[in-house]
Amino acid sequence: MDTVMSITAYGDGCEKAVNMADREINRLDRLLSIEKSSSEVLLLNKEKQLELSNDTLKLVSRAREVSIITEGAFDITTEPLTRAWGFYSELDNRVPSEQEIQDALRSVGFQHINISGNKVTLDESTSIDLGGIAKGYASAKAADILKKNGVTSALISLGGNVRTVGKKPDGSFWTVGIADPNDSSKQIGMVSVSDSAVVTSGGYQRFFEEKGHIYHHIINQKTGYPADSGLKSVTVISSDDTLADALSTALFVMGLDKSSELYSKNSELFSAVLVTEDNNIYITENLKNSFSSERNFEVIFD
Amino acid sequence: MKNRGWIIVFASALIICAVWWLCITAFSSPAKTVGIYQNGELIEKIDLTTVTGEREIELSGEYGRNIVYISNGSIKMKSADCPDKICVKHGELESSGSPIVCLPNKVIIKFEDASEKIDAKAGAAG
Ligand SMILES: [Zn+2]
Repeated sequence: MDTVMSITAYGDGCEKAVNMADREINRLDRLLSIEKSSSEVLLLNKEKQLELSNDTLKLVSRAREVSIITEGAFDITTEPLTRAWGFYSELDNRVPSEQEIQDALRSVGFQHINISGNKVTLDESTSIDLGGIAKGYASAKAADILKKNGVTSALISLGGNVRTVGKKPDGSFWTVGIADPNDSSKQIGMVSVSDSAVVTSGGYQRFFEEKGHIYHHIINQKTGYPADSGLKSVTVISSDDTLADALSTALFVMGLDKSSELYSKNSELFSAVLVTEDNNIYITENLKNSFSSERNFEVIFD
Repeated sequence: MKNRGWIIVFASALIICAVWWLCITAFSSPAKTVGIYQNGELIEKIDLTTVTGEREIELSGEYGRNIVYISNGSIKMKSADCPDKICVKHGELESSGSPIVCLPNKVIIKFEDASEKIDAKAGAAG
């Protein structure tokens, strides 16, 4: 389950800066990953009540904000559902019974989390997973460290989440390709960006097959089943990495129409590229000048 | 089945630190130039079109040896002592595909050329 992280940085003192950023990302991984025994998230899930450190608290609060603006489509409490579907280990992949799903759904939702100061309390059978937002947070912090230490131009990739710092050393924009959900070795198009995060969520990234059905890992917290909103992948571009990470999952769950509505209310916060089940590409209007593709695409106006 | 980019697990860091002029050379490299990295450091940059006959490069890491093999303008991991052998199963490096990665021995083989016209790709890990 290891993934590759790459940091390419240009500027004075970049070597020291890159090492510091690397250390910070690893520290956050140990703190936030649900799989690490050192993780605060794991301890909170076990104890159900914990005084959180600033990073973890900040992320839980951000998660709540995104949950509110997406009407629950982004949700960090789907852990019991993800576990029921066995997505924490390839060996556990299975289709749960209707009863199991209904049972798990009872402990899902932000109403089961209580935040008071830096103390967070979970209801008895509720558990959280910050996997859908932590990578974005880690890349944002890494980018900050690079900038504070003299790096003027950098590219960070955390297992497919891309973050650019400044422009390229020659002054041009970074070109970030967007994986084709039908074949991730190919791309559906590319975006020109500077100082932005580019994050893609898609069912193709993790799934299993049973009796001819494909079940992917992005669970709709209202139904308890893999999201079935008519989208194959969603890419979100934003100067806010954490938001980009969370929204890529949320829009995937929401589908094209609801995503368009969310965009029209928040067009200053993010841009998006959506690929539908029938392989049509939609981009938000604010991306018109920076998106290019050999394929046809439609524009979502705000 | 794709199994990455979901829960954050960062075991390996590929770190490249460069200055301006280095970057210019990287962006103007000819097609078919690959970089072999270990522990985040560039071991060798090779233009595959200039290799005549066959060539083998031996690397050693925490889990033993990796043998990189070049012939007919292509490059692959011929053998490895790593436990998972994912790097060997990857087969030949393709310009449209993902890099050859050996996480146990921290080896990465990837194209350096600008023929893809992109600096990074979102949504496809590793
Ligand atoms: Zn290997």
